Amino acid sequence: MNAIHLKGGFSPRIAGAPERRLRLLETPRHVGMVPEQIPFIKPRLLVDVGDAVAIGTPLFEDKRNPRIRFLSPGGGRVTRIVFGPRRIIRQIIIALDDDERSDAFDVPKLDRLDTLPRGALVEILLTGGMWPFLRALPFMDLADPDTVPPVIIVRLGDDEPFGPDPVVYLKDRQNRFATGLDLLGKLCDRLVIHITGDKSIRSALPDPTMARHFTGRYPAGNPSVQLFRTKTGPEQNRSWYIDGQDVILLGEYLRTGRYPVQRIVSMGGSLAPAADHVRTRAGVPLRQLCGGDPAGKPAARYIVGGLFTGFGSSPDSFMGFYQNALNLIDDGDREEPFGFIRPGYGKPSYATAFLSSFRRRPFPMDCGQHGEERACINCGTCAKICPVDILPQFTMKCLAADEVEEALAHGLLDCAECGLCTYACPSKIQLREVFRTAKAQYYKEIA
Amino acid sequence: MKALKRLFNTSRPHFESGGRLQKLHPLFDAIETVVFAPALITTTDAHVRDSLDLKRFMTFVIISLMPPFFYGIYNTGYQSGLASGLTLGFVPVMLRGAWVVLPMLMVSYAVGLFWELLFASVRKHDISEGFLVTGLLFPMTLPPTTPLWQVAVGISFGVVIGKEIFGGTGRNVLNPALTGRAFLFFAYPANMSGDRVWTMVQQTGRQAVDAVTAATPLALAPLVASGGSIGRILTDAGYTFPRLFVGNIPGSVGETSALMILLGAFFLIMTGVGNYRIMVGGVLGVLAVAYPGYLINLASGGETARLFSVHPVWHLVMGGFAFGIVYMATDPVSAPGMNFSRWIYGFAIGALVVMIRVFNPAYPEGVMLAILFMNLFAPLIDHFVIKARLRKRVPNV
Repeated sequence: MNAIHLKGGFSPRIAGAPERRLRLLETPRHVGMVPEQIPFIKPRLLVDVGDAVAIGTPLFEDKRNPRIRFLSPGGGRVTRIVFGPRRIIRQIIIALDDDERSDAFDVPKLDRLDTLPRGALVEILLTGGMWPFLRALPFMDLADPDTVPPVIIVRLGDDEPFGPDPVVYLKDRQNRFATGLDLLGKLCDRLVIHITGDKSIRSALPDPTMARHFTGRYPAGNPSVQLFRTKTGPEQNRSWYIDGQDVILLGEYLRTGRYPVQRIVSMGGSLAPAADHVRTRAGVPLRQLCGGDPAGKPAARYIVGGLFTGFGSSPDSFMGFYQNALNLIDDGDREEPFGFIRPGYGKPSYATAFLSSFRRRPFPMDCGQHGEERACINCGTCAKICPVDILPQFTMKCLAADEVEEALAHGLLDCAECGLCTYACPSKIQLREVFRTAKAQYYKEIA
Repeated sequence: MKALKRLFNTSRPHFESGGRLQKLHPLFDAIETVVFAPALITTTDAHVRDSLDLKRFMTFVIISLMPPFFYGIYNTGYQSGLASGLTLGFVPVMLRGAWVVLPMLMVSYAVGLFWELLFASVRKHDISEGFLVTGLLFPMTLPPTTPLWQVAVGISFGVVIGKEIFGGTGRNVLNPALTGRAFLFFAYPANMSGDRVWTMVQQTGRQAVDAVTAATPLALAPLVASGGSIGRILTDAGYTFPRLFVGNIPGSVGETSALMILLGAFFLIMTGVGNYRIMVGGVLGVLAVAYPGYLINLASGGETARLFSVHPVWHLVMGGFAFGIVYMATDPVSAPGMNFSRWIYGFAIGALVVMIRVFNPAYPEGVMLAILFMNLFAPLIDHFVIKARLRKRVPNV
């Protein structure tokens, strides 16, 4: 089968790509959940500080649908719950016992899966805390347990710099992956696997014909973009997606009856002490993940997730529920004499206005904004880079004028929130923020 | 660098809120950020940002303007020397040209900056770099004899009416530099057209030359007697094609040399700052109208519109077409934003330029009007192109 090549997008050459090496991190003393990074949910706490919890004890539920629960990634005691402004739950921290208990869930035998109705399977996933791994496009909210999606997309390979490599996390775990796929296949009419990057992993799939291979620049690995390029009708807009590693977790849950807490996370970025993959626990403290504070200058920004869409975090925080990557890059804030006129051999750019266009080596990226915010001059860079053919400059103006209908006609909901428009804008307008806010606003209105 | 940094650090408190000069903060900020690229870091995703910013974007337009600008200085000095019977050595010519052009440039920048600063200060935003381009473009479109007070009036009109009343950079409908020039053109026609304005004659005391009629090629062309070949008349007047291409002729300061403008265009296209679609579309538009006209004219024995008798390629190097299509029409704010619209827009400008030149003897030069006219149509073209494009989308609401 031929690869589907995605147009648009941009892959900056960034230094610090994780190697395919896997090392084992020693068990942390604490693990944590970061509810504020889970979009749209309204968490209601089910535990209090001091409570004893086991692996799989519900920590909080979503007020919008209390059947959706988030379980504890560790066994021990809740030592701290950090609240933010308006009592948003920032972190739930659990000190681990030496001998962690793990709640057992009632799961059917694998050969009985076929006989169960869909509703029963959904219920099994809900009680086991596995349901939130399924997410619904276009808003990327948790999937609704009561609807049947047109398609479920399994995303194998995230090409955002830098995420874990499926070759690493699939190794020796194909059985669990296959079980997970089996289960997903019963939740929907159509299940597809979207491979980005190394297509040799197709041989690791139980049924290679389910897979489609995507090539192209970032964000070819983004499910929204893949859906946009392959959808044939509007009924597919509300497809669901799930990350490849989370499918493995589904399989593990079904096979063991326990809430799975092992994760393989990637470490990347030019300031990462070792750019590779780490086998560790869900909710691992970031400080431990990168082996203590990196010594000396420059200061690093801790980004949970990719460089474009990840959350800026701190070493005191924890790995997120959906993220399996930590990227450390220079939190750069140095002034540069006559920066606007330098030839710029070391300055990465989408434009050809720098000598760096001739450079092939990867760039150590920093968090500099590289310019001040200005009015949009309609240069069209964002429209050129957009992977889903939105015209961000016009859509942004529709939204500024409160013309939501027009913005929707422009394809606002196709926005993959990949962050490339924000990256490339010479006026430094935070377009991703504009679109994400508008999408969320619209979602709340139609809800 | 250290000393400069210290200077900025010591003077910054005066410009900050509460300081004596806080109204001038945009000016301070503009100067400081030119010298030191500011150390801003991203506060939200995307955590990494591209290195290109508007400062560099606009600086590259200015760099691309340097070949026609310096050639304009040379040519102004040369034409002036020729008309005044002065020496034509390189250095005196450059000095003479600079004596004419630099005051215009300084007035344009100073007066324009005043308005920019006023609006930036009241609206509490930074001075936009786009002004540096406008302030340079504007004097380059003027005849060298333009009085300095008219330069001041023109740039004021261009900046205030052409840009700021719409809300400032990015929101203007018309190209500000051309708006200013159009104002001068209609308000002071005697200083902006005719035969006498294109060469600055220097009074040398002993041999005062008070009137030099050096007709520009475009002004010359309609004078041709019926049936005459314009190409020959122009050549007889010394306006050979190579000379028009190099630009050693009387005209507005920056517009004469198609060669230098071509260099600038090459730079703009290579760096991606200027849009090649508009430029190529413009050239195609000129040829698409001028060629059939030329052929019809040949067939009918030259009795139709006279300017059609000139070979179509000449239209590309005569007058301000090259300058207009490369530097004015490509202004991203007043041009359309869709790639297909840019082709249409450029093509229409080229076509209109030839039509105005050929059919309207009152305006021998139509570039300014053609571009301003198409500026007005840019949103409309975009509207339809976007509409057609959105039809292809799978709806998602």
